[in-house]
Amino acid sequence: MSSLLFLLIRSTKNNFLEILRKPGKLILWILVIAGIGGIFALSIFTRQSADSFLDIIWLKGILFLFILIFVVVAIQKGLSNGDVIFDMSDVNLLFVSPLSARLILMYGIVRMAKMSLLMGFFILFQSNSLSANFGVGFDAVLLVLLGFFLAVSLLQILSLLIYSLTNGRPVRKRAVRLISAAVFLPLIAYIGVQIAGAGEPIMALENTLRSPIIAWTPIAGWASEGIVSLISGDMGNGFLFLGLLVLTGALLILYIALSNPDYYEDVLVATETAFEKKRILSEGQINTEASSTRKIKVSKVGISGIGASSVFHKHLRESFRANRLGLWSISSALTILGAALFSLFLRGENSGIIILLQILMWMQIFLIGTGRGLKELYSHYIYLIPESSFRKIVWSNLEIMLKVVVESLIIFVVSGLITGAPIILIAAAVVVYTLFSFLLLGINYLSLRWTGADISTGLLIFIYTIAVVVIMLPGLAGAILIGSMFGEIGFLIGMGILAIWELVAALGCFALSKGILHHCDIPVMKTGGR
Amino acid sequence: MIDVKGITKKYGKLVANDNLNLSLESGELAVLLGPNGAGKSTLIKSICGLLRFKGTVTINGHDNHTPEAKRLLGYVPEFPVLYPMLTVAEHLEFIAKAYRLDGWEKNAEELLRRFELDDKKLKLGKELSKGMQQKVSVCCALLPQPKAIIFDEPLVGLDPHGIRELKAVISELRDSGCALLVSTHMIESVEENWDITYIMMNGRIERVCRRADLDTNQSLVDVYFDITEGQQREVTL
Repeated sequence: MSSLLFLLIRSTKNNFLEILRKPGKLILWILVIAGIGGIFALSIFTRQSADSFLDIIWLKGILFLFILIFVVVAIQKGLSNGDVIFDMSDVNLLFVSPLSARLILMYGIVRMAKMSLLMGFFILFQSNSLSANFGVGFDAVLLVLLGFFLAVSLLQILSLLIYSLTNGRPVRKRAVRLISAAVFLPLIAYIGVQIAGAGEPIMALENTLRSPIIAWTPIAGWASEGIVSLISGDMGNGFLFLGLLVLTGALLILYIALSNPDYYEDVLVATETAFEKKRILSEGQINTEASSTRKIKVSKVGISGIGASSVFHKHLRESFRANRLGLWSISSALTILGAALFSLFLRGENSGIIILLQILMWMQIFLIGTGRGLKELYSHYIYLIPESSFRKIVWSNLEIMLKVVVESLIIFVVSGLITGAPIILIAAAVVVYTLFSFLLLGINYLSLRWTGADISTGLLIFIYTIAVVVIMLPGLAGAILIGSMFGEIGFLIGMGILAIWELVAALGCFALSKGILHHCDIPVMKTGGR
Repeated sequence: MIDVKGITKKYGKLVANDNLNLSLESGELAVLLGPNGAGKSTLIKSICGLLRFKGTVTINGHDNHTPEAKRLLGYVPEFPVLYPMLTVAEHLEFIAKAYRLDGWEKNAEELLRRFELDDKKLKLGKELSKGMQQKVSVCCALLPQPKAIIFDEPLVGLDPHGIRELKAVISELRDSGCALLVSTHMIESVEENWDITYIMMNGRIERVCRRADLDTNQSLVDVYFDITEGQQREVTL
């Protein structure tokens, strides 16, 4: 058997065996598969009437935008380090071996395709929303996964080729940027003409989505057109556009293999960069700022505070140095902007601000971990500072709480003004959202305290998510039950009950995770292999 | 100064530390030796209060989780982790503020000068090489002038000047009455100063060796290989 084939089969087999040997991983996979199955079953039983479905053309638009993000990222990667298709073990063992460089490239591409497929796994969880909004079945979800897989695989090869052609050549880099922009010019011009002609932006957008211009836009257009054609039963068109992705990928591979057999240097930088990122993660450096190449100007210096409060002042210095908005990054600005745009669609809806609150609360479950307080647990400093554990935890999380309070004030005041919500409802939304964030911090610490942080990151996130649902359930049930008894004012009463529950539950979580810095292992980010 | 009694640390079924006892007086330099995976870093992290464990650890009579113990203890980790957005000087300022130190500036200046960091005060943590980061990490641990310091592979990544300075600092600290626990694979680097050596294998302390226990022509390297490879030979036979 070829050594490369052996490597592929054996590593796949070993990955599978590792899942069987590690109960935590096995449970996680069983739950993921059960989740996909559950959502699939739910999509069958919750099918709505055909009248309420959106036109499938909007699915094409969503897919186009989604894949477009990957296109932009792939081009940017190609212009900086190239994409990662090899591991350091490949560099150290395969690149120096007498195996054919072209065969090794094929091996890298097959491995990379496997990763693209895994990356697209989350699409399987969308079957319920696809079914509810577009009236399509699980077969359509599989087609979306196929299109995504083909597009992302092609983009990884494209990224590698761009790096290989432009590395150290500024003129070529400029040319790639120009070509990339030029590819989208016809589409932008077409949208402009449509808006000028139709006047109505939604109509202009729909016309664009139905035009061949978008279908022939490379990669994002081909993939979205191919997927939607196959879902609609237009097999010829579907195979044509998905075939284009396959053909382009094959041609690019052929070009790389024939023109540049000495591609090792081109993939080395990306592989080493990825390896270095994993290494510093596993050594406790989980701040993404550590691996950023952005130049930082040091102007103001110094740290205020004394004892545990110096942790908070350190966070302020770090945040304001990392970006001009300080605690509020670009993501905060995008969230506020997104919420404002979303509110435009909710105008006139009585419960508009509640819908927004629900969405933001879901997002916050995962965004709360981006605060510096939780990241502080991954390095030794906070454990060794001679102050009480409680004081250190409070001061190290003040930064994220300050961020949340200001963000929620802006989001809900702006949204309330747009939707015309009463001031009292806006205030209630701010309180519920802020206290929910406080509760999430408490649940994070409780999950760490309960597990001792001695489990994989994936399982820890899973336990945390389940804990959020379980802890919120009584509060939500109480809020709905009691709120529904009071008619018009019930909304406010329900939100008041929810806020009180969040506060009580958060205080309970913090009390139960008392002494967290003494009773859990310093967490280690387990990066694992590809 | 450092008193470890019956430490046991398990990761699932793996016993990383198996009922370990260790004692270290002021002015003593203890060396922790052992092959990779022997459990040295786990023991060190447990002593510093970074891991949960069974058993007790006291620093000058205080439980290692108390602020009193933390005030007396310094720790240089195996992998230096700095704050990417803080300058070198701010790292020291942060430690000084967090530990409520008075008149720390002069000491900080001296440490930075010794480790050739005085011209890099305004460099950010993320801009430093691994060796430089290790030097800052050492300075952070030494700034509060702890009475007990634990070094986990402190020489890895340092340049020759850094190695010489750190060896000199370790020697001075020992002479000034500080208790030092050093884990290292570079046995020759501690050959001159060590007082007591703990040789670990498979999560256990296989031998405790005092300098006076050695024959005149016997080195620490000889003792180490005698224990670690001698046992393997016995198993093979």
